[in-house]
Amino acid sequence: MIQETPPQNYHHQKPPFYRDAIVVKWLFQLGALALVVFSLWFLASQARDNLAARDISTGFDFLSVDPGINLSEGIDTRPATGGRALWVGMVNTIRLATAGILAATILGLLVGLARLSNNWVVNKLGSVFVETLRNIPLLVQIILYGAILANLGDLSYDSGWDNWVIWSNKGLSIPRVFIADGFYQWAIFMLIGSVAARWAYKSRQRQHDETGRDTYPWIASLGVLGAFAVIGWFIHPIFGWVGGIFGAIGDGISKIPEEVLQAALSIIAVLLAGNWIRNFLRSRRTPGGSAQLTDDDKFRVIFSGVSAGLVIVVVYVVWPGLSSWMINSSSDLFGVLDDKFGNGRSGGPFGADRPEVIKTGMFEKYGPSGLTMSIGFAAVFFGVVFYTAAFIAEIVRGGILAVPKGQIEAANSLGMKRSAALRTVILPQALRVMMPPLGNQYLNLTKNTSLAIAVGFSDLVQVGQTVGNQTGKNLSVFAIWMLFYLACSLTISVVVNFFNVRLRIVER
Amino acid sequence: MSAETAHTTRPDMIVCENVDKWFGDFQALKGVTATIAEQEVVVVLGPSGSGKSTWIRCINRLEAHEKGTIVVDGVELTNDLRNIEKIRSEVGMVFQQFNLFPHITVLDNVTLAPKWVRKMPKAEAENKAKELLEMVGIPEQASKYPGQLSGGQQQRVAIARALAMEPRIMLFDEPTSALDPEMIKEVLDVMRDLALGGMTMMVVTHEMGFAREVADRIFFLESGEIVEEGTPEHFFTNPTEDRTKLFLSQIL
Repeated sequence: MIQETPPQNYHHQKPPFYRDAIVVKWLFQLGALALVVFSLWFLASQARDNLAARDISTGFDFLSVDPGINLSEGIDTRPATGGRALWVGMVNTIRLATAGILAATILGLLVGLARLSNNWVVNKLGSVFVETLRNIPLLVQIILYGAILANLGDLSYDSGWDNWVIWSNKGLSIPRVFIADGFYQWAIFMLIGSVAARWAYKSRQRQHDETGRDTYPWIASLGVLGAFAVIGWFIHPIFGWVGGIFGAIGDGISKIPEEVLQAALSIIAVLLAGNWIRNFLRSRRTPGGSAQLTDDDKFRVIFSGVSAGLVIVVVYVVWPGLSSWMINSSSDLFGVLDDKFGNGRSGGPFGADRPEVIKTGMFEKYGPSGLTMSIGFAAVFFGVVFYTAAFIAEIVRGGILAVPKGQIEAANSLGMKRSAALRTVILPQALRVMMPPLGNQYLNLTKNTSLAIAVGFSDLVQVGQTVGNQTGKNLSVFAIWMLFYLACSLTISVVVNFFNVRLRIVER
Repeated sequence: MSAETAHTTRPDMIVCENVDKWFGDFQALKGVTATIAEQEVVVVLGPSGSGKSTWIRCINRLEAHEKGTIVVDGVELTNDLRNIEKIRSEVGMVFQQFNLFPHITVLDNVTLAPKWVRKMPKAEAENKAKELLEMVGIPEQASKYPGQLSGGQQQRVAIARALAMEPRIMLFDEPTSALDPEMIKEVLDVMRDLALGGMTMMVVTHEMGFAREVADRIFFLESGEIVEEGTPEHFFTNPTEDRTKLFLSQIL
């Protein structure tokens, strides 16, 4: 017979440590951390020993040494240091990726809409584009486009179009627009203009809300901005006195004593940390009193307190010169602004240089005055744009098809026109679905630009490889490559996540 | 008010003559002929797959009929886009699955079409929306999103959204079929008020109580044909067709 036992004090029985959830959690955390630290130490020591055994040196000295290379294109074709060379490569990669993302998005959107079209011809063209381009490897496409573009004519003095646009098998050269003397004064005009444009937008929008008429706020505000741009072009020197203000501010800053800035920085750090902790604790407060803080919460509070202390240590002990450096550099900055905005500058805000053809030795080539895109750039550009656009087209199609049919029927049954339904009902919901995979495609495109090495375009990978070969610091170059692409990817992720959050749908 | 007086004293709002509709090889509507007068409330009954929803969706051309004519408020439904838009802005529709726009608030759901189609000033549209939400009994939910409401509340917002266009006709496509039993009443109450207010209504439903109480006339469809039509008394107490009797014996 089963005997009923009265409940005993099992609440107060302490379990053995290997069954105590809190202890186990900490043990696992510490164990994992130890494993990671040990692995890193092991890998680093192995690498160091092997590199030493094979006489391969690491280090970043090469960044400030002349690599002795010429680059085919970029902001500097004869870089004076290794660091400068890599920077040229980074700028080329960023140019390629930015232009590629813009073009692939527009093309992908159009092709995606084409695949949804009821028009048979348009629909099938879209299908052929997608099915062909996404199924040919990107490297093959890049080499193919390079080969096709190499068939353009040889460069000569009468190539192209009257020295405005020149094209040949050495690439395309167009006028280079640059910021000229009057730009900064003109920028003040544009600043006022954008405030005025915003006001125009709001007032037109209000007019629309009050009367229901179409008032085209975007067109009105762009018109205002354009008017300011044109007027400012001619009369911007009236803002010459602004330079004097910057000069005065710079003088004022340079007179601030070092101790005052040190004290101010410390106080600001403490206040910010205190404020953050107070708000954080307040956010954890429930109507029933303070909520139990999790370990994570405690870490956050401790971390913000420690970082305030860290600021004070840095300001007074680690880097006592920080304050005077801040004072001097901001004073210098205002000095530069004094010069840029000053009365002495009276030219137009922009200038342009036409491209030219020069002859060095036997061969004609593009002179430095124009903005030149090589065949290599074009080949990689068309490659990544077509390839990515094919995938983006499918994302667009999928995003629009993911909006339930009932949404379109509801908009239709309210008498809304197709364009209005698309803009207010379908696209906002489709964008929500499209955004995460679109972000992936942007990341892919950026990383795929590293295939530029196949056609000799001077992107970061191509430049890095050359620099590595010249200096033997291949590992250091690898580290720079990885950090650069990581930084690009994280930047894109942050932007995409921002839109993700904004497009989120509120549910219960 | 009996159907006969409705016919004789009020102008026709919806006229269907020999309407045929196919989905591929399947004929969903077979020669549907009916006339619905202004301020009349008709309920369409029938087993599932009988073409009730297809018929009602042809009235505002969410489905295009292939043969016959449909005239709504004196305008014939053809491929003329201007006619379709005109009719759609005068015919409100309420769906089984609500089809509220989930990315905008309840208030924006109700004001969207008046602002975009009627070019109504924002303040006026919002005042009207608040009145309508008051009418359907949920004025306090205006700033919430559809996903935050219960099914019955969502369906009442959908009714308010359709009414915001000031339609002359309201179509209801199984408005309570996706609702929990305790929420059905709150939606039917709103529909009953609407009917008493003189709205021309065409309702596809399985709510026999509502049909018996509110309808001026009942159409019974099977296999895309109108099998029987008549007043609720006639339909529920003295049906003439065998198929009607069979249907009623299964559901009552």
